Amino acid sequence: MGLVLELVSVRLHGKPLVAAVSLAIAPGEVVTLMGPSGSGKSSLLAFIAGDLGSPFDGSGTTRLNDRILDGLPPERRRIGRLFQDDLLFPHMTVGENLLFGMPRGAVALRQSRMHMALEQIGLRDFEHRPPQSLSGGQRARVALMRSLLAEPDAILLDEPFSRLDSELRAAMRELVFARIAAAGIPGLLVTHDVADAPPGGRILRIAPDGVLQHA
Amino acid sequence: MKGLAGGLPLVLLWALPLAAGLVMALAGADLASWQALLAHPQAFTALLLSLATGLASTTVSLLVALAIAAGLYGTRAWERLQSFAGVTLAVPHLAFAIGFGLLIMPSGLLARLLVGGQTPPPWMTVQDPLGLSLATALVLKEVPFLLVMIWAVLARGDSAVALSGQWRAARSLGHGPGSVWLRIVQPQLLQRLAWPLAAVLAYGCTVVDMALVLGPTQPPTLAVLVWRDLNDAAAEVNGRGLAGAMLLTLGVAGLFVIAVVILRLMRSGMSAWRISGPSRLAAPRRIAALASAALAFAFVAVLAVLALISIAPRWTYPRLLPDVFDLSVWSRALSDPAPLVLSLLLGLATTAVALVLAVLWFETQPTRRDPWPTSLALAGLVLPQILIVAGQYRAGLALDLTGSLAGLFLVHLTPVLAYVMVVLAGPYRALDPRYASVSRALGAGPVRSWARVTAPLLKAPLLSAAAVGFAVSMVQFVPAQLLGAGRYSTLPMEAVTLSSGGNRALTAAFALLLTAPPLLAVLLAARLGRPRWG
Repeated sequence: MGLVLELVSVRLHGKPLVAAVSLAIAPGEVVTLMGPSGSGKSSLLAFIAGDLGSPFDGSGTTRLNDRILDGLPPERRRIGRLFQDDLLFPHMTVGENLLFGMPRGAVALRQSRMHMALEQIGLRDFEHRPPQSLSGGQRARVALMRSLLAEPDAILLDEPFSRLDSELRAAMRELVFARIAAAGIPGLLVTHDVADAPPGGRILRIAPDGVLQHA
Repeated sequence: MKGLAGGLPLVLLWALPLAAGLVMALAGADLASWQALLAHPQAFTALLLSLATGLASTTVSLLVALAIAAGLYGTRAWERLQSFAGVTLAVPHLAFAIGFGLLIMPSGLLARLLVGGQTPPPWMTVQDPLGLSLATALVLKEVPFLLVMIWAVLARGDSAVALSGQWRAARSLGHGPGSVWLRIVQPQLLQRLAWPLAAVLAYGCTVVDMALVLGPTQPPTLAVLVWRDLNDAAAEVNGRGLAGAMLLTLGVAGLFVIAVVILRLMRSGMSAWRISGPSRLAAPRRIAALASAALAFAFVAVLAVLALISIAPRWTYPRLLPDVFDLSVWSRALSDPAPLVLSLLLGLATTAVALVLAVLWFETQPTRRDPWPTSLALAGLVLPQILIVAGQYRAGLALDLTGSLAGLFLVHLTPVLAYVMVVLAGPYRALDPRYASVSRALGAGPVRSWARVTAPLLKAPLLSAAAVGFAVSMVQFVPAQLLGAGRYSTLPMEAVTLSSGGNRALTAAFALLLTAPPLLAVLLAARLGRPRWG
């Protein structure tokens, strides 16, 4: 169970960035991956998500709850992603953004799940607002709920706190980790700030030779 | 109004003649002219023909362009198609129409390839009464234009970054590429395609030169009817032409309103579907490949037919290659170089002046004044050209500018500068003004700072604005024909006149003569505009 990487390597122009990583992340656990910019940590996330394009290429096996993901397109992997930017779709309302990835089903049920999610992040009356009218912190919370409402089996976090100021950052961090724990899915967090890591969680570092080390 | 001086040349040489054209056209048609128009037995059918060919060709072009973009977006083929589409844009509509007509006529290469037999098939493929050949040629010519516009929207720095992020986010939320295109990319794209689409629609409804070559004759499209009236010696017939130009404008405006309403309805109808949940819809790869191959084939075939016919005075049916090759037609085409020289000179002069006026504007005027010239330019592009030119012709008659080089220059500058403004405004204002500040702080005067810093940084957009401006000037038919007043002849005028005569070889040679300069300009601009690094 959980997210398992077996001998995963990522190369740039054929030159190894991340070398033969093997890693297992249990449901509900968030592992933190650290490294300077250009060390290949974001590329590793793109590889896991099935989204790695040239000039990068990757190899190795990714398993999620005993499903082998290799070769699957991103939309079939059931892996959620949070980015530095919230990437809310600017031509849809907040509510429409939340419904976008939610599995198909009865309209009323989907609506009520969307309302519940808004309630949980304290944005009850924001359903019909355009995302541009929200503050940065509000948008970040909507982006988090949007990816969780798609019911992913794992979530990849690519420096999701780096654009937030320090006050929002602490609150957002707490919310993200609480929600991931509640969903019971494995998470992989990439950051260059050790303070972003969840308390007591495993922290790994990409060494200059591309090998993962415990920090 | 401090510091308006730098914008004054643009106002005097461009905005004023353009505005004069509009005012004179709108003020020109009196009640008697309208009555004469309404009494014209063909006016109503001609209007319907105009609107139908314009609407049909625009709708089909949009659907084809969107299908190609949906299927190829994000692949290498999309980038390759882009350079092809950019080159085909330089092929003048008129030259394409002539070549397309020669390709699909009963004794054309298409019939030789598909039908054969001893005599040409009884096709009604050119100047068909429903305007189908005209609409088809318009589609083939507008799809590349829309592809270039779509590409420009998708590749613009800010939207490219945002869209690639949204693309990844949507895929991670369980949507396949086709679904992401329809739900995320296309709705945002369509909003930004409004102006190009309006221009395509207006052009299709009001084009004169293509309609003279390919369009129906009994009755012709309204634009052709108007053009004939404007050329008439009798003043009251001129008045009827002005009324016709206004009727055509009203018709196009009506189509704009209908199109906006339909798009609104579609958008609200789609919003429920957009959020109905993830779908793994794939991208329409095969349709896109097929459509782009057909498009490429059409352009290659049209240019090949023009080249073959121009060196084949005799080509008996059903042979696939001419009986004899012979360059005599070319020596005849070049025996009187006056139209070619005049077209080239007008193109070079209007392009140079347009660039100077535009740069002067951008360098001396604050960004907040930009909406003045840019909205005037956009109005010039979406209003029927025949309306503006009809007014400019009246103004020219009043000021004794018809049949003069000055008049010809001004009416050519009107569309050229409109395109130059539209091409340049975005890149010029997107350039970080601090580069110029730094260079001034380092001791460079305004001219040196522009030549050494601003111009090199804007090399690609300046060159492509120049190429577009030159190409636009080269293809002007109605303004040249009306303002030339029989005293001057340009290449498009020669080509239109020849196309109604019997000499196909000479017509093809002039179509190629008309194609070569803009094509070379666009290729040269692309070559010189390459970035210095990488």
